[in-house]
Amino acid sequence: MRFADVELGDDLPETHPDISMEKVRLFVKAAGMNFPRFTDHEFARNEGLPGAIVPGVMSQGFLAAMIHQWAPGAKIHKLDTVFRSTMVVDTSATCRGAVTDLDDEQHLVEIDLTMLGADGVTAVIGTATVELSD
Amino acid sequence: MVDIEQLRRDWVGVEFHRADFAIEQEPVLAYAASCGDEDPRYADPSHPDFAAHPMYVGCLGNTREAMMPKEFPDLGPGRSIDGGKSVEVLAPIRVGDALSGRAQIADIYAKTGRSGTMLFIVHRMNFYNQRDEHVATVDLRQIKAVGS
Repeated sequence: MRFADVELGDDLPETHPDISMEKVRLFVKAAGMNFPRFTDHEFARNEGLPGAIVPGVMSQGFLAAMIHQWAPGAKIHKLDTVFRSTMVVDTSATCRGAVTDLDDEQHLVEIDLTMLGADGVTAVIGTATVELSD
Repeated sequence: MVDIEQLRRDWVGVEFHRADFAIEQEPVLAYAASCGDEDPRYADPSHPDFAAHPMYVGCLGNTREAMMPKEFPDLGPGRSIDGGKSVEVLAPIRVGDALSGRAQIADIYAKTGRSGTMLFIVHRMNFYNQRDEHVATVDLRQIKAVGS
């Protein structure tokens, strides 16, 4: 995907990130966030959660992966997210994005981002500023 | 009632904590794999531009001492809400880099609505590499009810 190929309002192809326990365990080890609320369903339920939850910060990795898949070689300058609700590990999720602004001089693209949980509720909203190649 | 202007004068922009981070290959690769990011720049160490995933830095420095100065006044009881997180990428972070994370409170402001006054605190960590190049800024916004 080159800058010239992008139009305002374009949707990024949605992705369905793997939020299995296997991937979450890999993530929390890499991120140094190995807390049982992320990796142990029973522990999380005892804390009043519906099950082990996907770390909010992991959503930033999923959304960045969607951008990289859409535009290989793109450079993410900034990614800003707000975590609105929890997603339970071992369920499903969907990442979506839409182009909301274009900077012709610097070849920057603004993207609105959302991540939905299995129940269709918006779990994460955000924006990204991404530089595309000529 | 919290004196927001005094808090701003005392704390905004003041560096209160530093932490060092060694960037190692195994967690860098695990991060990209766990998020399903197959971009070879972040998933393949043989790629000529191999670097840590741009969001990886957002996982560094999430400790209590990096969030709030020890001397910061008690804001009283009540739950804090996570107001979101942003990662600004200024330069690639490479395996073998030695990062210095420097914590400050970037902003404090209040908003008043039907449910009372909410205090917004922006916790910032600026990351510098071993050449003192500013490579990333991570902001974490905390929201706390402080009165009606």
